[in-house]
Amino acid sequence: MVRGVVWRQLLRFGVLNVPPWTEPLMIAFWSALFLLWGPGRRGVMRNLAVIKPGSYPIVNIFRCYRVFWNYAWTIADNVRFKELRTIPDWEFTGWDHFQNMQAREGAILLTAHMGSYDLGAHLFSETSSRPIVMVRAPEEDPQTRTFEERHGTGKIRIEFNTRASELALDLLETVRSGGIIAIQGDRVTGTIGSLPGTLFGKPVTVPAGPFALALAARVPIYPVFVVRLGRRRYRLIAAKPIEITRTRNRDDDFALGVAQWMAELEIVVRDFWDQWFTFEPYWTESAP
Amino acid sequence: MTNINAAVDRPRARWLPSRHHFALARLIACARLRSAMRASGPATDHIVLAIDPDQTAAEMNGVALWVFLTAACYFAALLPWTLPLSLVGGMLLAAIALHLPFLIGGALIRALTGDGDHIRIISLLTMSLMTIASSWIATTTTWARFAAWLFLAVLFVNGLAAIITWVLRRWIAALEEQCVR
Repeated sequence: MVRGVVWRQLLRFGVLNVPPWTEPLMIAFWSALFLLWGPGRRGVMRNLAVIKPGSYPIVNIFRCYRVFWNYAWTIADNVRFKELRTIPDWEFTGWDHFQNMQAREGAILLTAHMGSYDLGAHLFSETSSRPIVMVRAPEEDPQTRTFEERHGTGKIRIEFNTRASELALDLLETVRSGGIIAIQGDRVTGTIGSLPGTLFGKPVTVPAGPFALALAARVPIYPVFVVRLGRRRYRLIAAKPIEITRTRNRDDDFALGVAQWMAELEIVVRDFWDQWFTFEPYWTESAP
Repeated sequence: MTNINAAVDRPRARWLPSRHHFALARLIACARLRSAMRASGPATDHIVLAIDPDQTAAEMNGVALWVFLTAACYFAALLPWTLPLSLVGGMLLAAIALHLPFLIGGALIRALTGDGDHIRIISLLTMSLMTIASSWIATTTTWARFAAWLFLAVLFVNGLAAIITWVLRRWIAALEEQCVR
């Protein structure tokens, strides 16, 4: 039900009609209401139990509210940018890495379901001279998919990870011609290829695509995260690039890259646990 | 950036009056900007500050909380229960009532004028409803009249600030220009 188009329509209506000085009230109210969404709440709480071991469930309910609160603000800011061209304030950490990524011929931007990754990608596409392709999972609900297509994606090109084999060739071509591929590398959806990793000391799987693409195109992977600092205020964190070096053992090459990615992801998720928008249990074995 | 108004690597632009909505907040921002311009600013990393009147968190969150608490007081005063219970009920009713201008007003305006940005008119409608409610509550003998007096007093002060910022508009524009340049 929460994936239905009605929520997108209501959000857009709110962005176009709610006075900014009553907006915090609306966000607080709706975030509290969404705590009634059992599967989402339980998913976040299970993940929080791993990120913050030993935490009390009652405390994690409040933490869960913070996750919903941040999610509400980030999706509202994203719609506001698309509809009204209103940008938030931006700060940058690792600006040199970010500039290097833009300057070089082709790169892979690896991010997570953190903060406003969507808004970050759209803004980045407006300012960058390089073509940007965003790879993501398609919306499950067909009406929601149509709604999203109708309400604009700006200059960014979006590809869905459902057509894996043809997409791989397209992306390889794009990155070889100097483009930047933005991929979310924290969650495996559907039947896409995966690689094993370790996050917070527990085994996980991450999409294999970005690592295979980096190896094939011989380009580095730049871990980039967009985190929310406050009302209409974000920070873009660009970490040191991950180089996938080709050796005789391809599995080891990937394992090294995945380990570096997991290390970066763990730092960011630990610091910004309230902005990791993973509403399904990430570590299935962490279920009580 | 295309169609985007922003100050790049100008940390003092945080205090641009143009980043504030209400006249009182703009006037305060103006004073803060002036003192920030005199002080030597700290070295900062790359920063992009959007120039938009609804950008400042303290102003928007402060007004949201103030309007919510004022409306909650009005509803609580009307409820026949004990004060703590009435305050809880008042907060719940205020949270629902503050949705009505945008849900009903927004839907009506959309039906009349078509899809688009109706924030200004809904903002005006909500503030007008709050002013009407405050004017009425202010004349009653309930404890909530103090909240109503405060609301009307702040509106009055904001009106005065609007006159001052209008008189100083050229000077403020020059100050902003100097900051962003």
